[in-house]
Amino acid sequence: MSWRDRWGRVLPHLAIWPPIVISCGYVLGFSAWTIWVSFTRSTLMPDYAWAGLRNYSSMLATNNWRIACVNLLIYGACFVVFAMTIGLLLAVLIDQRIRAENIYRAIFLYPLAVSFVVTGTVWGWLLNPSIGVQKLMHDLGWTSFRFEWLIDPNMAIYAVVIAGVWQAAGFAMALLLAGLRSVDVDLLKAAQIDGAGPVRTYLRVIFPAIGPVLIAVVVMLLQFAIKTYDLVAALTGGGPGLSSTLPTLVIYDFMFQRGELARGSAAAVMLLGSLAIVLVPYGLYRLWRRRAASAHA
Amino acid sequence: MSIVSRRMLLAGSAAVLAAPRVALAQGEKPKVTVISQWSAGSDGLAITTLGKRFEQEGGVWEHNPVPGFTTEMMNKLRAQIIAGDPPAVSQLKGPEIAAWSKVGAVVDLDAQVKDAGYEAVVPVELARLSKPYGAWIALPIQAYRINTLFVSKKAADRVGVSKLPVTWAEFNAIAERMKAAGITPVANGGLKWDDGMKWEIALCGVSPDAYRAAVMQLDDKALKGPEVLAAFGQLRKLSEWSDPGAPGQHYSTFLARFMNGEMGMLLMGGWAQGVFKHAGFQPSDYLIGPAPQDDGKVAFDLNSDEFIFWQKKEPEYREGQKLLAKIVMAKDFGPMYCAITGSIPVRTDTDLSTEGFSDGQREAARAMAEAVQANRVVLSLAHNMAQPNQIAAAMIDVLTEYVHDGRISPEEGQKRLAAAVDNAR
Amino acid sequence: MRMPSPVSRAAIHAVLIACAAFFLAPLTVVALNSLRSAEDIARAGVIGLPHALMWGNFSGTWSGLCIAEHCSGIRPYMWNSMRMTIPATALSTLLGALNGYSLSLWRFRGDSLVFGIMTLGVFLPEQMRLVPWAIVLSDLGLFNTITGLALIHIVQGLSFATLFCRNYYLSIPQDLLKAARIDGAGYFRIFWRIVLPLSPPILIVTVIWQFTGIWNEYLFGVTFSTGDHQPITAALIALSARLSDAPQYGEQSAAVLLAAAPTLLVYLFGGRYFLRGLTAGALK
Repeated sequence: MSWRDRWGRVLPHLAIWPPIVISCGYVLGFSAWTIWVSFTRSTLMPDYAWAGLRNYSSMLATNNWRIACVNLLIYGACFVVFAMTIGLLLAVLIDQRIRAENIYRAIFLYPLAVSFVVTGTVWGWLLNPSIGVQKLMHDLGWTSFRFEWLIDPNMAIYAVVIAGVWQAAGFAMALLLAGLRSVDVDLLKAAQIDGAGPVRTYLRVIFPAIGPVLIAVVVMLLQFAIKTYDLVAALTGGGPGLSSTLPTLVIYDFMFQRGELARGSAAAVMLLGSLAIVLVPYGLYRLWRRRAASAHA
Repeated sequence: MSIVSRRMLLAGSAAVLAAPRVALAQGEKPKVTVISQWSAGSDGLAITTLGKRFEQEGGVWEHNPVPGFTTEMMNKLRAQIIAGDPPAVSQLKGPEIAAWSKVGAVVDLDAQVKDAGYEAVVPVELARLSKPYGAWIALPIQAYRINTLFVSKKAADRVGVSKLPVTWAEFNAIAERMKAAGITPVANGGLKWDDGMKWEIALCGVSPDAYRAAVMQLDDKALKGPEVLAAFGQLRKLSEWSDPGAPGQHYSTFLARFMNGEMGMLLMGGWAQGVFKHAGFQPSDYLIGPAPQDDGKVAFDLNSDEFIFWQKKEPEYREGQKLLAKIVMAKDFGPMYCAITGSIPVRTDTDLSTEGFSDGQREAARAMAEAVQANRVVLSLAHNMAQPNQIAAAMIDVLTEYVHDGRISPEEGQKRLAAAVDNAR
Repeated sequence: MRMPSPVSRAAIHAVLIACAAFFLAPLTVVALNSLRSAEDIARAGVIGLPHALMWGNFSGTWSGLCIAEHCSGIRPYMWNSMRMTIPATALSTLLGALNGYSLSLWRFRGDSLVFGIMTLGVFLPEQMRLVPWAIVLSDLGLFNTITGLALIHIVQGLSFATLFCRNYYLSIPQDLLKAARIDGAGYFRIFWRIVLPLSPPILIVTVIWQFTGIWNEYLFGVTFSTGDHQPITAALIALSARLSDAPQYGEQSAAVLLAAAPTLLVYLFGGRYFLRGLTAGALK
């Protein structure tokens, strides 16, 4: 076997394996480290002395964490529902082969270009009753207008939903539009021949056909919601009081502000668990779909 | 600094640092790397001025402010310590000095402190925080009084008030009059530390002894006692008198309204003077003095910033640290630094009659000296002086929730505070 | 689809315009504020028209603004971000494409599991990555360097890029590959001749996504860089987290616009390709 042949055999492996190993190593290593630390007594710095389940029980008993988890359920549900609905609406409307599609698409997509910190800051200005929309309305004469969600402990989390949906609806729209556009043309023609109107075509034919895309969008939106940090930190800081705090904020607070690495890691592991609950079934679902598809082919 | 005294300093501290020493190479200058959160405003200006002074004395100054707040700075510090490359000097305060000194090697400053006769002129609370395990490892830079009351001159004129209230009862009466006149009585913001601070000022005003027991020693009986309950009651009043748009706001957003009389009174630390000055306001725009004290005697709620010195192997950093320590401990450091930030010099023997200082600062410095004599100095909770961050953060969480949720009664608030302390202990 | 009737077309446009107003509102506010003075905003609220066009906000922010002791505006930080983002984007996209290619077209046992693990990297919360990265970077001796920061973004970006590319490459017909292999083409040949020419849609999606993500990233940028090596996100935070100052909304708005300009331009010009790439199958 000549040098060239040997080299030709080895080189692909050099290209294939290192990136895979680095990537998997990074994911597994960091997760393992976090899980390990969550069972230790780390405070300011990592300290590998065993502490059992103490951190977990402590976090579960913490008011912060309980409020944060409830908020995540509220925020996650509202965020996904609204982003999905608006995204779908926009996608369907743009799909109608209207003019100025490019302009609309640019308008709805640009929020993705903005960093979360900026989104939180700017929406913080807008939703602030003393300097934002409410003040504008008052100055314009509509003095009974009230929009004080940002400072109302019961409504602050919904203010976060507004900012979050503003940022992500465009992304949902892009994915859904892509899905709508890849629906099999024959299906559409068949529906047309059957005399179905636009509404029925959408409901009966198109939406079912993009089912997998809908699910993919829900999953992407859910993981956005779970990982939300910069947005809430910049918009409300978790306030007023603790009313809009989210798990990521609590993790950051415990790990870095309070110097409780172990407790923060325990919270992070619990958050990872919630992510796994969403992602593992989804992953299995896709695997099943692909096997089913290749069985048909 | 003359070459002679630098050599003396070098020779003098040779005995202290036990590690094998390599002298500064010819032409090498003392160097220092500093981490702080002071990137802008009067704090930024002050530390820049310190840097210029350091360079004037022949050193190389490298200051890296970390954008964001204290947590981001601690993050950076943590990352650098993990990387084995701590800065020569970093900003730190309170019990955190003790905590962090356990995770990274620090410099023993005892000899230098003794030479300068520093400990005698520094308030004992600060000395205690700077030498948590017996040896001096940090140097205080500036002190602030937390329990300071600012009253807008315009608002005071409108309700006919010419001097500051002495007790909480008087304060409340003035607040009612302001409310009736359409002025928002309390101009504080709604951030977490602000909420915690309002409570601690209330408690300090009710009884500094109860404060010491409950907050600094975490005595359970004190935490469940009547003084703490009274503080919660006062806090409820303060939160009701604040601007409805205060939650989540920094108090500086209300500056303009405070100055033109729409808002009446601000309970804030002495640094607000620096903020006012930076925003272009004159001392004649406001009245300043101690916050209400129910027993009429002086009490001082202390906040301070310190520099902690991390051990470095390279001689230029060691020299730089010594140089910086010398500058910070000198008598003229206060007039240079504190005049800019509005803080109080740490050295009780500083002459504040010089021009850079305002009357407010002079009054506060006098109060500090008096309080030290009378043993009526307490450490701030909201500014992380009294307790390490774990406990302080847990308590402040309860307080900020209480402020922004009118449904929680003072009794309930007190119960939750005691429970939070137990949980975090 | 049949073209909708004029009435429904008008209705469609009405709804779209209403939504567009909601989406454009923040940008408009920021743009207007960047031309107003700080006193004006403090007095009249955040939503308002400028009285006088303060172009000085822009020039001041770009080259004159003082952050810490460096009074050179945000220009050096923009440059730092460019220096970090462009290489990191390019490398992570390239490696991701290779990964995706390997995992989709060169099957081996457990490749689904490997793909699952790599994809999980996309979903890890960033708070739990901070301390591990500090440990890794210090072990590699890359602490406080732009290289270290770029490394972080490359490895993290690898997960995203692999996710996108692999799903896309799965849709390449197997016959093409079989034919090529019969012709004797090896790993690299097939990549170069067949896969890469088919890749532009997904590569554009990946590049746009990565560029935006890395450019806007804040936590690691602040913690793992120092002084004037910091990225633009750190400078923005320094501007808004003024501790002893009243907020300077005008300058902040100008800074925000300038900082967001690159990513906005990317989406403005690349939006169409972004959509096309997604259509071609990033997330099928």
